[in-house]
Amino acid sequence: MLPTTTYRTAAFVEAARQIGIELTVASEEPSALQATSLGGLITLPLNDPQRSATEAFLFAQRYPLAAVVGVDDDTAIVAAVIAQRLGLKGNPVHAMQAARDKHQQRELLAKAGVPIPRFMLRGLNEETSEIARTVTYPCVVKPLRLSASRGVMRADNVQGFMKAQNRLRSIVREPGASFLVEEFIPGYEVALEGLVVNRRLHVLAIFDKPDPLDGPFFEETIYVTPSQVPAALQKAIVDCADRAVRALGITEGPIHAELRYNERGPWLIELAARPIGGRCSAVLRFGDKGVTLEEIILRHALGMPIPSLQRERQAAGVMMIPIPGAGTLQEVRGVAEAKAVPLIEDVQITAHPGERLVPFPEGSRYPGFVFARGETPEVVEAALRDAHRRLEFVIV
Amino acid sequence: MEAAEIRITAEPIDNQRCKFVVSVPVLTGGVRRFTGADEAKGSPLAEAIFAIPGLAVSELIVSGNIITVVKQSPTPPWQAVGKPIGAAIRAALASDVPPVATSPKPPGAVNDDALYEQVAKVFDEQVNPMVARHGGRVELIDVQDAVVMLRMGGGCQGCGMADVTLRQGIEGMLAQLVPAVRGIVDITDHTSGANPYFQAAKK
Repeated sequence: MLPTTTYRTAAFVEAARQIGIELTVASEEPSALQATSLGGLITLPLNDPQRSATEAFLFAQRYPLAAVVGVDDDTAIVAAVIAQRLGLKGNPVHAMQAARDKHQQRELLAKAGVPIPRFMLRGLNEETSEIARTVTYPCVVKPLRLSASRGVMRADNVQGFMKAQNRLRSIVREPGASFLVEEFIPGYEVALEGLVVNRRLHVLAIFDKPDPLDGPFFEETIYVTPSQVPAALQKAIVDCADRAVRALGITEGPIHAELRYNERGPWLIELAARPIGGRCSAVLRFGDKGVTLEEIILRHALGMPIPSLQRERQAAGVMMIPIPGAGTLQEVRGVAEAKAVPLIEDVQITAHPGERLVPFPEGSRYPGFVFARGETPEVVEAALRDAHRRLEFVIV
Repeated sequence: MEAAEIRITAEPIDNQRCKFVVSVPVLTGGVRRFTGADEAKGSPLAEAIFAIPGLAVSELIVSGNIITVVKQSPTPPWQAVGKPIGAAIRAALASDVPPVATSPKPPGAVNDDALYEQVAKVFDEQVNPMVARHGGRVELIDVQDAVVMLRMGGGCQGCGMADVTLRQGIEGMLAQLVPAVRGIVDITDHTSGANPYFQAAKK
């Protein structure tokens, strides 16, 4: 299930080719060539999982389906509903809904005793000053369903909270919508990439995030693996993620978790039942043959043998290029110079000339990605920063 | 052309495929595809790239100012082999001999000219009228050894669903209508697409 807005199309289509499986691509908009494809393309109302399941069921009468794979937060739910309707391997629908909805997720995690920030659910149309008085600072304001840290803001006092809630209203644009007010957890942040197989979490990678994520907004930048967090703490982080997976009821498929740790131990910040976002998965390779994450996901969904879940020996990293400012992108200079930096594997500029760039928290679309691989996490991180320094975004 | 004046940009497509965009034309008026060192004989640029130690090239496609190198395996990484490939390209272009020879046509070979006509008809009559609805177009560049080289433009260039159009649409159509086609190579520079029909928007 590849929404037209996903970055992951090429990686999944290529993985299917590598494995040699027949692929049906489901998107929410019709492909220009859909009429000519014999079972290779289908348009589904991805915003309506039940209707999608009905249409997928009818489609499967003509073109039998062996597995359904969602690639992001929303299609993970649709995939679960379709899998249930077709009797295919998949996650329980309630687990995918809980993973998608930040409040449901926190309620289940809290009930299971998973360490998470204290939280409360409030309405965007509630009186801001009243909520602001009940909040412990610093806090984090979060929309329930936006992804990529869009709309997530830290507030350090009443004034900051009032400003953040007003700003969130203009981002969400649903007057009756709810949002989360969460305790800000200071500490170091990591991301855990995993694959759940028959309820058991297999860790594929733990990424360090060397740039502090202390707010006021939470734009991601660098991910580097392997993590340099001490082994005992890594084990505690994995245990925390594992407890979260079980608390939500996730039984199969990829997960991506964001965790923090401090002197009180690990804290689960977010867990998503999908693989790592953007084009970041290109940084992961497994086994001697450099199998991709997408190939592992497809093989797992189809019950095919997986050559290895062991990440390669080399360190690897990706930088989600920070949004350089608001305006219309005219050109990007220095790409060749950035690519020439030792250890840099690729620089992908995904924003196109003429595109309007919107900084966080209103925006969330990174203008590109930088990839590096090397002997140690330190040299990889240094290469990413060096390459980024050579890029110049001309915005008007 | 002085080798120092030639600028080469590596644009990896994935672990095994990488485009090298050269600032000067390498082969004008067509496309050459090489699938082994034997085929490369007589084309200094291809000979040099196939001879790079440890690279294990399985396919090389030269069109205009773009050289697409396909490796047999994800390792070594492009970062490690980019420089020797760049040096091979520069050396070939600095020589007085044409870097890529024109395509020989061995007797009994697949009739690429006939395939070209058939594929062009499918593109003109079926593919392009449909992709035009999304502001796109697909240009047939050449057919070599029954492999179709194409370039996507307009809304298809840089479109988030270009791979779906190519693999789930065009490839399937050609499999039905021109079954002698053995494969498709997209030589589009998708990074320079200025008006993609579908644009990735999430993290």
